[in-house]
Amino acid sequence: MTYLSELFASRELFYNLTMRDVKGKYRRTVLGQLWSLINPLATMLVYTLVFSFIFRARPSVGDPSGLDIYALWLMTGLLPWMFFTRVVTGAMTSVIGSAGLIKKVYFPRMHLPFSVAGSVGYTWAIEMAVLTIALTVFGGMPLIWVPVALFFMLMLTFFALGLGMLLAIGNVYFRDLQHFTTIALQMWMYLTPIIYPLSLVENQAATHGQWILDVYRLNPMERFVSVFRELLYDNRWPDLSDSLVCIAWTVVMFTLGFLVFKRSEKRLAELL
Amino acid sequence: MTQAAVVVDDVSKKFRLYKEKNDSLKTALMRGRRSVHEDFWALNDVSFEVPEGSTFGLVGRNGSGKSTLLKCLAKILYPNSGSITSRGKVASLLEVGSGFHPELSGRENVYLNGSILGMSRKDVAKKFDEIVDFSGVRKFIDQPVKNYSSGMYVRLGFSVAINVDPDVLVVDEILAVGDAAFQAKCKEKFVEFRKAGKTVILVTHSMGNIRDMCDHAAWLDNGSLVQVGDAQSVIKAYTADIDKGDR
Ligand SMILES: Nc1ncnc2c1ncn2[C@@H]1O[C@H](COP(=O)(O)OP(=O)(O)O)[C@@H](O)[C@H]1O
Ligand SMILES: [Mg+2]
Repeated sequence: MTYLSELFASRELFYNLTMRDVKGKYRRTVLGQLWSLINPLATMLVYTLVFSFIFRARPSVGDPSGLDIYALWLMTGLLPWMFFTRVVTGAMTSVIGSAGLIKKVYFPRMHLPFSVAGSVGYTWAIEMAVLTIALTVFGGMPLIWVPVALFFMLMLTFFALGLGMLLAIGNVYFRDLQHFTTIALQMWMYLTPIIYPLSLVENQAATHGQWILDVYRLNPMERFVSVFRELLYDNRWPDLSDSLVCIAWTVVMFTLGFLVFKRSEKRLAELL
Repeated sequence: MTQAAVVVDDVSKKFRLYKEKNDSLKTALMRGRRSVHEDFWALNDVSFEVPEGSTFGLVGRNGSGKSTLLKCLAKILYPNSGSITSRGKVASLLEVGSGFHPELSGRENVYLNGSILGMSRKDVAKKFDEIVDFSGVRKFIDQPVKNYSSGMYVRLGFSVAINVDPDVLVVDEILAVGDAAFQAKCKEKFVEFRKAGKTVILVTHSMGNIRDMCDHAAWLDNGSLVQVGDAQSVIKAYTADIDKGDR
């Protein structure tokens, strides 16, 4: 309990580290914070061009929203995914990146990965707000679902943090992990129905065997993406089992990451 | 006898010296799970007390374990056995200015650094003028710190750290930085500290500094405590030993 209360007592440090990243990132750029919106927009254009016009990916029409716009459908899955990868890679490198600080000053080290989630989450919140406006403009009704979406955004944050903290400690022992994770995340993205709809996998499973779908759906990010699509694109309650699986993964992953990080925290100064 | 501000009780600290460190997967797989290492004891059963309100000097040759001991005091390292108990808040000046973000202004960095050192925003705001005046960089306080000279950088970092207002201040060879005027200011600050009844533990290579400032001292050699007590006699024994070694 004392560990948690110390963490809570130093919450101002969390805030300051978060703001350091938020403010430092776009300092001295002409467009400033706008860059954080230009990046996903550029990605959106490329994916829409390639997968909607060339490969003709056809997600089903939003039910009941009636939306049928690939770019918006894509972004409801892609923005959570991009947030996830940024938190995982950022948290993973946060410990090694602050080696100098860790060796010179005592402070609760967990604020390093936490503040990554804070600053990346800040950008994500803006992106999601813009997406919600766009969905509304094109005829959806995502606004009433925002509170539920916020809850799952929080879940995804803690899920990503748990994984990131686990990898941060692993990375101290094996620096290869960082490069390995970058590749793994790229493959993971294509194993998640972000740029193509799940129905493509369901079709394959129908002809080649149900096990394909069962294995495919072991991926927790598949569940998270489905939940965000159902909430914001379709505008309905997410599937109950998907929601429960998301929550269960979050609890397990965050607890694991937290405990492993806490156990290794004291030795970080000499390991780095 | 006054109360002890810090009690160092039987502290030992071991480092692993890796001949070949397995920090890549390839070496780990090729050599099996175990890294080749040997244990090195940087501190051996060190025990002493630092009386409250004293200025306590730590002397010893390079590599004798002074910095390691200070880091244990500052909770950066954890001893393998033994314990360290301190009364009140401990702040350390091991390397100042770590944690500064180059793109942020001096002002923003003062707040950031203050909170890394455990100050609340309100504390920093209250002391902000004092911090800036002490550092002497007021003219540049709204400039990004990457435009600072290294001297300015260190002075600002030092000013933040010294204004944390701890009960015990731990200082490692910090007096070697800064120009003579700044060093004089620092010494003044230490005197102020002592007058306020606070405890200072410091490592410095200048025997003159120790003689001027400290009332108690400890002498470490190869991780073991050789002598502890009144500063004058410890210094005398230590300098005698060095002279003997030189001859
Ligand atoms: N992180 C570390 N890993 C391995 N050895 C270390 C580490 N830190 C210090 N040492 C060793 O411990 C000994 C004591 O170092 P230190 O406390 O810095 O000495 P001093 O400050 O008295 O010069 C030295 O031999 C040094 O090489
Ligand atoms: Mg030293």
